[in-house]
Amino acid sequence: MTTSFEQRPDEATLLAFQQELDAIRDEALARRGQQDADYIRNMIRLQRGCEIGGRILMVLGFIPPFNSLWWLFWGIGVALLSLAKIFDNMEIGHNVMHGQYDWMNDPHINSRHFNWDIAADSDSWKRYHNHEHHTYTNIIGKDRDFGYGLLRLSDDIPWRPKNRYQFLTYLNLSLLFQWGVAYHELAAERIFFGKRRTESHLPISREQLKKDFFSKINKQVFKDYIFFPLLLLPFGLAIAGWVLLGNVIANLVRNLWTSTIIFCGHFTEEVHTFDEKDCQNESRGQWYYRQILGSSNLEGKRWFHILSGHLSCQIEHHLFPDVPAPHYVWMAERVQQVCDKYHIPYNTGSFGQQYLTVVKRVWSYSWPDKKQPKSDTLAAG
Amino acid sequence: MTTLIDDKHSPSLSLIGKIRESKSWSWLAESLTQDKRFSYYFEPLIQLLIPNWSSVSSRADILTLRHETNDVFTLVIRPQKSWAKGGFSAGQHLDLITEKDGVRSHRTFSISSSPDYFDKTGLIELTIRVQDKGAITPWLREHFAQGGLANISAPFGDFTLEKLTADHHSDAPLLMVAGGSGITPFRSMLQQMQAVGDTRLVQLLYYARNNDQFLFRHEFERLLKERENVSLTLMDGEQVGLMQSQHLQELALDIQHPQLQVMICGPTPMIQLARQLTEAAGVAPERIAFEYFGAAPIDQIDGVDGQQHVSCTTSGKYLLSDADQPKSLLELAEDADLKPVSGCRIGVCHQCICKKQSGVVYNTKTQQYSDTGPQEIQLCVSVPVTDVALEL
Repeated sequence: MTTSFEQRPDEATLLAFQQELDAIRDEALARRGQQDADYIRNMIRLQRGCEIGGRILMVLGFIPPFNSLWWLFWGIGVALLSLAKIFDNMEIGHNVMHGQYDWMNDPHINSRHFNWDIAADSDSWKRYHNHEHHTYTNIIGKDRDFGYGLLRLSDDIPWRPKNRYQFLTYLNLSLLFQWGVAYHELAAERIFFGKRRTESHLPISREQLKKDFFSKINKQVFKDYIFFPLLLLPFGLAIAGWVLLGNVIANLVRNLWTSTIIFCGHFTEEVHTFDEKDCQNESRGQWYYRQILGSSNLEGKRWFHILSGHLSCQIEHHLFPDVPAPHYVWMAERVQQVCDKYHIPYNTGSFGQQYLTVVKRVWSYSWPDKKQPKSDTLAAG
Repeated sequence: MTTLIDDKHSPSLSLIGKIRESKSWSWLAESLTQDKRFSYYFEPLIQLLIPNWSSVSSRADILTLRHETNDVFTLVIRPQKSWAKGGFSAGQHLDLITEKDGVRSHRTFSISSSPDYFDKTGLIELTIRVQDKGAITPWLREHFAQGGLANISAPFGDFTLEKLTADHHSDAPLLMVAGGSGITPFRSMLQQMQAVGDTRLVQLLYYARNNDQFLFRHEFERLLKERENVSLTLMDGEQVGLMQSQHLQELALDIQHPQLQVMICGPTPMIQLARQLTEAAGVAPERIAFEYFGAAPIDQIDGVDGQQHVSCTTSGKYLLSDADQPKSLLELAEDADLKPVSGCRIGVCHQCICKKQSGVVYNTKTQQYSDTGPQEIQLCVSVPVTDVALEL
């Protein structure tokens, strides 16, 4: 059920709450500086190293004297390429396109020009992700990231027979995640399927949207599935085949990882949903409150935060989407203290725990509701 | 308009050059690296070997810093070999690109040394005044005290002798009016004229705040001895005040000369005054060239009061902001029927990002002031503090 705001602290409390969160943000902005610039540049270097190294290693195993261990070379190559794609999409691309590094005034590391190694056109993603998802987080009917129009993850959405198979849909979505991300905005506009909408909120024409969509997909398909295999074809069909397979696997690994992290950020068991009418004319404090209730964190070591693009600190990311992500880790401790002080639920746990509850949520909403939950009668009363 | 990024308009491209400029090559680069040029992809790696290597600007090795007065200094710079392949013209300026606390900033400075000096030594000089409350210039002096690495743009600007002589007679007498550090392009021109043996009559009329503020004074005095065609009048602001029409009557050259050319460089009020006075003395406007000193953006915040002008360089529209009823740049633009792309309007979605060319804006979300130079800003949470130029 959407969260009834009867539980929401009063306006004066939320104002004090907001001021404490603002103070944390101000401190982060004051600490932002050279080390953040160095960090993101080093991340980009690491990503380049993994990508170039991975593509070379995948092939190196077929050249004597390495060929006795070709499977090892190939395996490490695929792993490195997967890592490169994960770094590019999460810690670099996602964060740069949120404008977290725009203050650097660097011509390549900024939200307007950055382009990522994924099938989704970056402009399209910025439109719906940064605007729709980050402004209307978990508002049923407004934030289409909530279930992506494919999954029923709340009893606000009426059960339909097809939901019985939604666990399979979920697995498919995870494996093919990049295509889902690429198609997301076109789905809203019903470009290829569904009833044509008469009104459009797009700042660009539908034709342009379609053109951008195919332009990006063509380039991605060309790179991983045509160019690199073809480049190695002169050395034998087998090598070209293994390279093709390696590229396919790297893309799948990235898809699985990114979708899993993202599901853990918004679809864990305790995450709340909201009704549009409750969220009109929100104060900044109310907005912060909703962002916290609509997100969940994952605890882990530094490498885990980096691999997740710091989306492990999903709550902090939703509160402060344009603060450089590495700051989220120290900010999380402080935000949690503030939440405890104001008795606002702060949803965090280990990756394993949180993921289990995601699976549970996808599974439990696959079936028709047995009984109205208690909270609903309260809210109705 | 001047271009800020290297425009290498070499007339005949080699075959490799042609391929690199072709659309298919750019498509290939974009599909393999997601960047329009391969060099963008490799740049961070190349920088590990060659610090400050850049795909969009040139590497500049700052060799020494020389103090001219208590608040003016000169940087002696060795640009990378491929900088300004076609040379530069005396009077042109460039962008000095530096990084302070992770933030890249661009500042435009005139090249104060001559093309001839560059040909002989491979060096150029930038002479810079430290702005009182400036964010960058005081830091530049401190940071590069022992030299260091920075980046520079290609030279640009048409406040040059070449431009003037292409339009008019090359042997006509020339009056140079300089105010403060507006002397820098004239130093380059005078050195160059001496090097190439230019014999036209030149009068330098140089205004400064006080007697200690004349830059390159000894150089100019030496030049006077060596060259008969050059004359110099130093105007000490404490003695003579602002420029007056009478000053133009006391020159070594005839202000009434029908072909006389005038070049003016200095602070904005000084330029306006000098233009009025020279025109009143009978010089036709088309024979007066001027350059607002500091094509460089204003280096300090003057405080938010009164009205700020926002010029939109793409649409050519002017917006007026009122400090008493502050509006975001997005609202101002929409009031003027411009329709910039926008989204959440609360600074979250970054769709309304626009390139600011110059001026200071205040970000209402982060409560921070922007830099004065070129930068990308969010229109929906930006309020102009000074006059602003936007690419809109």
